[in-house]
Amino acid sequence: MKNSTAFLPNPDFSITILSQTQLLKMVVELTRHITTLSNFPLADAQKISLAIDEAVTNVIKHSYNNVSDREIRLDYFLGNSGIRIRIFYRGRQPDISDEEVNIKNMIKSKKKGGLGVKLMRTIMDSVTYSTEDGQHCCEMIKWRQAK
Amino acid sequence: MRSFHVRSKIVNGVAVLYLKGHLDAHQVARFEKEIVRMIKDRTFKILINGQDLNYITSAGMGIIMGYIDEVREKGGDIKLCSLNERVHETFDLVGFTKMYDFVASEQAAIEKFNRFPSQS
Repeated sequence: MKNSTAFLPNPDFSITILSQTQLLKMVVELTRHITTLSNFPLADAQKISLAIDEAVTNVIKHSYNNVSDREIRLDYFLGNSGIRIRIFYRGRQPDISDEEVNIKNMIKSKKKGGLGVKLMRTIMDSVTYSTEDGQHCCEMIKWRQAK
Repeated sequence: MRSFHVRSKIVNGVAVLYLKGHLDAHQVARFEKEIVRMIKDRTFKILINGQDLNYITSAGMGIIMGYIDEVREKGGDIKLCSLNERVHETFDLVGFTKMYDFVASEQAAIEKFNRFPSQS
């Protein structure tokens, strides 16, 4: 069952953090721990936690412009066939393009950013952004035995 | 306690940056400062030794991406060596392993720099 019904409506675990980059390492370690508990192999758990790091970093940098007292909520849904992580925040919605990132062009233009979304999309099976009543949500899903 | 450390030394004309620990968006400014300092000092043969690096995000990879063209234009390069499997895989996920020079050991990388002084 690989659709939205694969997960219960309420998260199995939820945490709210302040928009501070010093908390990223904690989020990574927490995500790795939760994902491992959810029976993902360690290698997958490490990649999933990297994708979450990238998503939360984007929120802190681009949505909250590095203002450190804003809130970011992470909900973890553990299902038999995968894991769903939803990240809730306010502020500005990051400029997320569906276009394939061209690394060669980024090198030529001496860009330092833009790789995070590529990493998220490469690692996860689904990455979607939505907004409701001013609250943004980045939802990422990783299925077992996929990719 | 800092979770990321960077130190550097010159070995046979090559600036070697030793990265250690967890390099994420919180720590990346110190890595960028070192790269910028080297370029300001007109040091364009830069080797990143990641033997003790156990984690990198796009923030760290973005620094390499942001400066490598300038370094190559000046006849140098930014090479990487001694990465562990996990960090190497992170570079591979964004396709960097096809565009940058990843070398197994520091010694081999330094020899490569000095064998082909202006190769990028």
